[in-house]
Amino acid sequence: MDAIINLANNSIEFFKTVVEFAPKFIPGVILTLQLAFFSIILGMIIGLVVAVLKLTKYKWLKKIMNVYITIVRGTPLLLQLYFIFYGLPSLGIMIDSFPSAIIALALHNGAYISEIFRGSIESIDYGQREAARSLGMTKWQAMKRVVLPQAFKRSVPALGNQFIIAVKDSSLASVITITETMLLARQFGAATFNVFPIYFTAGVYYLIITMGLTKILSMVEQKLKVNER
Amino acid sequence: MSMIEIKNLHKYFGELEVLRGIDLTVDESEVVCLIGSSGSGKSTLLRCINFLEEKNEGEIYIDGQLVTSKDINNIRQKVGMVFQRFNLFPHMTVIQNVMEGPITVKKMAKKEARDLAMALLEKVNLLDKADEYPAMLSGGQQQRVAIARSLAMEPKVILFDEPTSALDPELVGEVLGVMNDLAKEGRTMIIVTHEMGFAKEVADRVIFIHDGQIAEEGTPEDIFDRPENERLQNFLGQILV
Repeated sequence: MDAIINLANNSIEFFKTVVEFAPKFIPGVILTLQLAFFSIILGMIIGLVVAVLKLTKYKWLKKIMNVYITIVRGTPLLLQLYFIFYGLPSLGIMIDSFPSAIIALALHNGAYISEIFRGSIESIDYGQREAARSLGMTKWQAMKRVVLPQAFKRSVPALGNQFIIAVKDSSLASVITITETMLLARQFGAATFNVFPIYFTAGVYYLIITMGLTKILSMVEQKLKVNER
Repeated sequence: MSMIEIKNLHKYFGELEVLRGIDLTVDESEVVCLIGSSGSGKSTLLRCINFLEEKNEGEIYIDGQLVTSKDINNIRQKVGMVFQRFNLFPHMTVIQNVMEGPITVKKMAKKEARDLAMALLEKVNLLDKADEYPAMLSGGQQQRVAIARSLAMEPKVILFDEPTSALDPELVGEVLGVMNDLAKEGRTMIIVTHEMGFAKEVADRVIFIHDGQIAEEGTPEDIFDRPENERLQNFLGQILV
């Protein structure tokens, strides 16, 4: 009997804390959304440019792009964040914490997204390029008008995956003093010693963001599917 | 006047010499059919003409102009190509496929390109499919769209690379019908085909390619009724049984 009363009391206490702290997370959630948004948009641009440059005939360009991808994929994002925010100042380059985080996250996502784009560009039947070229298109026109629109469509599922990773990875920006969702959770936890409901709330916010993103992406996918059998 | 002139064309794939010195002249309004067993080099020859394959040796003149890889985009506007696997752009509707060349390459105004595309779709009997996507069409319909797409560039020559080989038998006729119409209009055409009946009916000249060389050429009657080359006799024996 005591145990049941105890459990009920604890539950009430738990939800009271959740309700109390949920609104306090809003500024952090907004920062999380901003970090995710910019790192995804910039990451897409970087990814597209890198993928296209890798497919040009210039070997040295290809090599430079490969070095970038190797470094970014081969080292932890945490280290990359430290490097840009704490490392670069010793080379005389000072960047504020928010732009530092955006740069690190965008470069990180860009490397993965470029490989997604490259894969889907290469998956487009070579006959498509030949048909475009035989109409007299230049290589770039064939790329822009024929290959990329089809490749983009094929990359949507993998991109969705990467976007979700980008949302979650933005939590690492907390290590360079950005008070996004995770850093707020840590601060609230330290202040109240009531860790469980606070991390629970943070987790729910992440779930809401990633589920919303999944929904949007599946809508985009459906929309792009119209011209297929 | 000769529309295409090929002199001593050689093409290697690695060690393998696929084309071993081809000399070929095609006159304006002439319809030439290339026949031969698979691997003989006939498709490669066709692809070399508009530089989808880069030749290793030899010269190609189109409309009196020596073709080099530098001005290839201009040359390709004069040379239409129809592929075995159609290669329509699946993300564009039928009419957008046909308008794409004039708009992107020739910078034609949209309205003008649309009128042109409509006229061409009418010609290949597909006006009612203008706003469908290629995936909704049968193979024969897709190939007719592909023909319309290449006609939209107003090419001086059209190259056909086994245009009916990927089609169900009952769809072959509609594509050959369109090609027959083009031949009657006086279009210059080079056709790689396995449709001997069609070659017999439409070609001004039939060329038998064997082992990367022209083994025999002549009128359809010469080739099909009085073949001299032993290889050609074997080849015809195998397919005309």
